[in-house]
Amino acid sequence: MICPFCGRTFDAEAAQAACRTCTMLGGCKKVKCPHCSYEMPAETSLVKWLRKKLGKGHGQS
Amino acid sequence: MGALTYLRRLASSKPAAPPPAAASRRPRVLLVGSPNVGKSALFNRLTGRYVAVSNYPGTTVEVTRGRSKALEGRFEIVDTPGMYSLAAIGEEERVACRLLLNEPAYAVLHVVDAKNIERMLGLTLQLIEARLPVILVLNMADEARRLGVRIDAAALARRLGIPVVATVATRGRGMAELLGALDAGPHPAAGRVEYDHELERAITELQGELVGIDTLAPRTGALLLLQDVHDEVLHLAARLGGERAGLLAERAGQLRRTLPHSVHYHVTLATRQQAQKLLAQTAAFPPIQRVQFRERLSRLCMHPVTGFPLLAAVLYFGLYGFVGRLGAGVLVDWLETHLFADWLTPHFHHAAEALIPWPLWRDLFVGEYGVLTLGLRYAVAIVLPIVGTFFLAFSILEDSGYLPRLAMLLDRLFKRIGLNGRAVIPIVLGFGCDSMATLVTRTLETRRERIIASFLLALAIPCSAQLGVIMGLLSAHPAGLVVWAACMGGIFLLAGHLAARLLPGPGPSFYMELPPLRLPRPANMLIKTYSRMVWYFREVLPLFLLASVLIWLGQVSGVFGVIVSCLKPMVRALGLPEGAAVAFLFGFFRRDYGAAGLYDLQHSGALSGVQLTVAAITLTLFLPCIAQFLILKKERGWRMALLTSLVVMVVAFGVGLAASTIFGLLKVTL
Repeated sequence: MICPFCGRTFDAEAAQAACRTCTMLGGCKKVKCPHCSYEMPAETSLVKWLRKKLGKGHGQS
Repeated sequence: MGALTYLRRLASSKPAAPPPAAASRRPRVLLVGSPNVGKSALFNRLTGRYVAVSNYPGTTVEVTRGRSKALEGRFEIVDTPGMYSLAAIGEEERVACRLLLNEPAYAVLHVVDAKNIERMLGLTLQLIEARLPVILVLNMADEARRLGVRIDAAALARRLGIPVVATVATRGRGMAELLGALDAGPHPAAGRVEYDHELERAITELQGELVGIDTLAPRTGALLLLQDVHDEVLHLAARLGGERAGLLAERAGQLRRTLPHSVHYHVTLATRQQAQKLLAQTAAFPPIQRVQFRERLSRLCMHPVTGFPLLAAVLYFGLYGFVGRLGAGVLVDWLETHLFADWLTPHFHHAAEALIPWPLWRDLFVGEYGVLTLGLRYAVAIVLPIVGTFFLAFSILEDSGYLPRLAMLLDRLFKRIGLNGRAVIPIVLGFGCDSMATLVTRTLETRRERIIASFLLALAIPCSAQLGVIMGLLSAHPAGLVVWAACMGGIFLLAGHLAARLLPGPGPSFYMELPPLRLPRPANMLIKTYSRMVWYFREVLPLFLLASVLIWLGQVSGVFGVIVSCLKPMVRALGLPEGAAVAFLFGFFRRDYGAAGLYDLQHSGALSGVQLTVAAITLTLFLPCIAQFLILKKERGWRMALLTSLVVMVVAFGVGLAASTIFGLLKVTL
């Protein structure tokens, strides 16, 4: 996915690995850019399902 | 890790375990480059079926290795994690950097996205400077051509002194040429980047100490030390023996402090300029009018003279017009009047009367502060439309690339309050949720910055729902809105300035590469808005319902009345009606819950323009919500959390009192 703040590309799943050290116990449903730490909401299951159905599996930007 | 800590660990540690492939006798070919440039596609083209995936020693980062299927299988191909520069930031970049420094390579294939070559050529220059045997792979050449980007690979190869090959890895195009270049055997080129005078002087002094390390060019080692990326360099320098590594780290720190900007800034600027110079002679880009317009607009957003009026326009149209008028005005009014007052609330009352015969229990659901009549109504009819419009406006700003420009614009101003442009990230995120933003202050460089940013978030940054409700409330009193905004801005700067004076420390530097301005895509904006609304609603609804239950319990036990009575002298001193004490009590649970309480008061006609402005100022500055307090405690400790809350309470009440007194003395009507 592309970070909307710094414009760099990163792997959303890999970025969520950093959540293990977070105070919120992974409950915030957000994705943090590993380069600039900007946070954005993770896609909901509905959006993921729609993407799959529409054949757009590239993830959010 | 500090240099001394590192050296202590180095002295006590056993020799590092060799990387898994160190024993391999095949010449190694490393694939390096930014993420999403087609490295993996190229790796698949170059290798056969037998691929080994393993974690790099001591990390969770995976490195993929395989044997070349062409050239008689005599090469080992290594797919490294994505990297943007040799000065590694994340763990993945560090692993890629270690692979480059520790594993002597037969060839380093720097894979770039040909259409974005200008942003990526800087790393090629760094690799050449590091005396590595580089082959530049211009991947996605078909996409670049389609967009009108023309690169003269032969001319670029001559200028760089390395082989340059255009490929389309997904289709296998250019593979023959790439294999030919590999077969011919690349050699380290003699190129180097020319940095400015101060940095060159520092490099010259350090590189003399690094001669003798066979896997590291002294110039690159000096640059890495100066950029504080010294773990690997010190490890290599330690092999030279003696006190050398410790002295090097110390001297690098001294030299770093003599430079006017961060070394990262000097390096990026110089490599970017050299890349632009090279491409001006070897590539042609489509002369698109829109790009020039975007560039001009980008500069206007960051220039102090034009940037602040543009920011004011963004706030006026985006926040006041869209969120305040449409969200908090039209949408809330419709949901309150039609959905709840005319339809849902009567149904709730009928259902409660039919199902719950006990008035006390009925009050829990449909009473004055009932779960359905207050908790659900606040969450659905007041907060949801406001955060929905706020998140939509925010996603437009986010997708357009405006936020990094805002960081640049505010950098100079933030430096006066002990922060820098990097703090724009937590501050901007604070407008969404202050609790999450307090966590993000971790990313600021120094403890001093983290304390100042946490304090300002707790004091003067309203969260999205609170901001939207206040916009909606004050949109009927524009003069009150101006006073409120001036008050918040003034207190933010004054409190920051005082905090910076109380906590002296070095001014941090800030540098970031700007992504291009772009037109937001409607589908993307809607997805983000929806995802954020779902996230917010999931968080806010249970808390609002819980707050209603607690208030009901407080009412039943009489505690609610006692607390409200205790708050009444305070609200009276502020010149507010006693009913405002309930809104302030709501504010203890969540600041947006308190703001929604004010909304009810205003609708009942209990507040004048002046009273509304005083209440909005006080409530905005009021104590952080319970969640933010807990995070503050977790991040900064009990002492700092309690001190911050105490200061915030005193400032909130003091400023509200001062505003009320001044309005009264001057007989102001808003």
